[in-house]
Amino acid sequence: MERVVITGMGAISALGQGAGVNFQAALNGNSGIGLLQHPYAEQVTCGVAAQILTPLPELIPKAEAALFDRVSLLALAAANEAFAQSGLNIDSEQATRSSVFWGTGMGGAQTLEAGYEDLFVKGKRRVRPMTVVASMNNAAAAQIALKIGFGGAVTTYSSACVSSAQAIGEAFRAIRHGYAERAIAGGSEALLTYAVLSAWDALRVIANTDTAHPERSCKPFSKNRNGLVLGEGAAAIVLESLSSAQARGATILAELVGYGTSNDATHITKPDPAGQARAMQMALSEAQLPLSGIGYINAHGAATVAGDVAETASIKAVFGEHAKSIMVSSTKAVHGHTLGAAGALEFVISVQALRADAVPPTAFLDDPDPECDLDYVALQARHHQQLRAVMSNSFAFGGSNVALIAKKFDA
Amino acid sequence: MLAERLEIDPATITPDTKLESLGADSLSVIELIFDLEDEFGVKMGDERPTLVVVQDIADIVDGLVANKPQN
Repeated sequence: MERVVITGMGAISALGQGAGVNFQAALNGNSGIGLLQHPYAEQVTCGVAAQILTPLPELIPKAEAALFDRVSLLALAAANEAFAQSGLNIDSEQATRSSVFWGTGMGGAQTLEAGYEDLFVKGKRRVRPMTVVASMNNAAAAQIALKIGFGGAVTTYSSACVSSAQAIGEAFRAIRHGYAERAIAGGSEALLTYAVLSAWDALRVIANTDTAHPERSCKPFSKNRNGLVLGEGAAAIVLESLSSAQARGATILAELVGYGTSNDATHITKPDPAGQARAMQMALSEAQLPLSGIGYINAHGAATVAGDVAETASIKAVFGEHAKSIMVSSTKAVHGHTLGAAGALEFVISVQALRADAVPPTAFLDDPDPECDLDYVALQARHHQQLRAVMSNSFAFGGSNVALIAKKFDA
Repeated sequence: MLAERLEIDPATITPDTKLESLGADSLSVIELIFDLEDEFGVKMGDERPTLVVVQDIADIVDGLVANKPQN
């Protein structure tokens, strides 16, 4: 089986544009969360979000604007960055062995919602002609394939908050088993719309606004945590077979060595530590690493009351006595929960932690929950570590769990 | 409207300019028809009109506006 390496990374979120910018902000604990800026902000309970408030990079001609929902624009920003870093320059034959594996929870929901608004609110009797093309769930993956010219399998994973982690894992398997030589993998999400915000409000899992410090509203593993903060963003990586990367003399950033995925099959929303543990164990077994090989876990850590306790339990179940010596942090405290993009964004941050031997903190963790008793790297980054491998966890409504393991590349 | 949608200099457009040469593909023509219908309050019908050059747009819109029921 092929070994699979990472040769490019890209990210855009409330922390800024660029994989490096996102990592630095996470390392410094600079929050991208703020008061929700939205035309319907007054009508929704949700008061804070991790929004991208700066204009998106201009990546497409205006003539094509109608084809792109925000979710696809974010996707292109991340994919272009990763592709540029990889230095790939492929011919038409290689293009047919090049894939896109993308994750998104709700695709172009914003475009669809604008169509509903036209019909139901504005009393129009028709929607914009490109509503289908811009809102379909595979629009982002298809636009990446089209713009970059990847003609192999182009697939979209929609499994709520593990979507992009699963997309990365499935891309890894495709390359490992020889179905593709290279892939752009990741995910994007742009769901800060009136209806989607209202739907999340109704489920009562959104954090209350920290009125004194809105940017500190998401508090993973804290005693006073009370929910997640919705975010938007995208992240992408370029994965290649080791032989393909070496043949072209590519700079190898890290090796992807393990992917585990499972389903709790117990409850549609309530997380089950046993299901989470199965995903982590599967990834560890594939990575062929001892438990002590994992120096850092980027936790799912969404800051829901039940979720953080369940993840603490599952990490203990998998790592046993090693659990307390592993640095575990949730960077959602600063970039919010980017849903379908979360797994990819956090994996991109984890790989940079591995490369820099620096672990981003769990920001705003000044009042730890006694039930969450691992080393959550509270408040301050840890520099000068010696990391061999890192794990990134993602868990989702619907019971899906994903763990990804990256290791420093060692020829 | 055409210049704005395709991001081109209006001065480069003449009645004989082929839409294809302006970078308009079948999807941008569908978008254009939608906007023209809104702008002029007309309906181009289910059979998609054959729009090849810029003058075709003017002709079809003129025809529809002239026949528009007055109310």
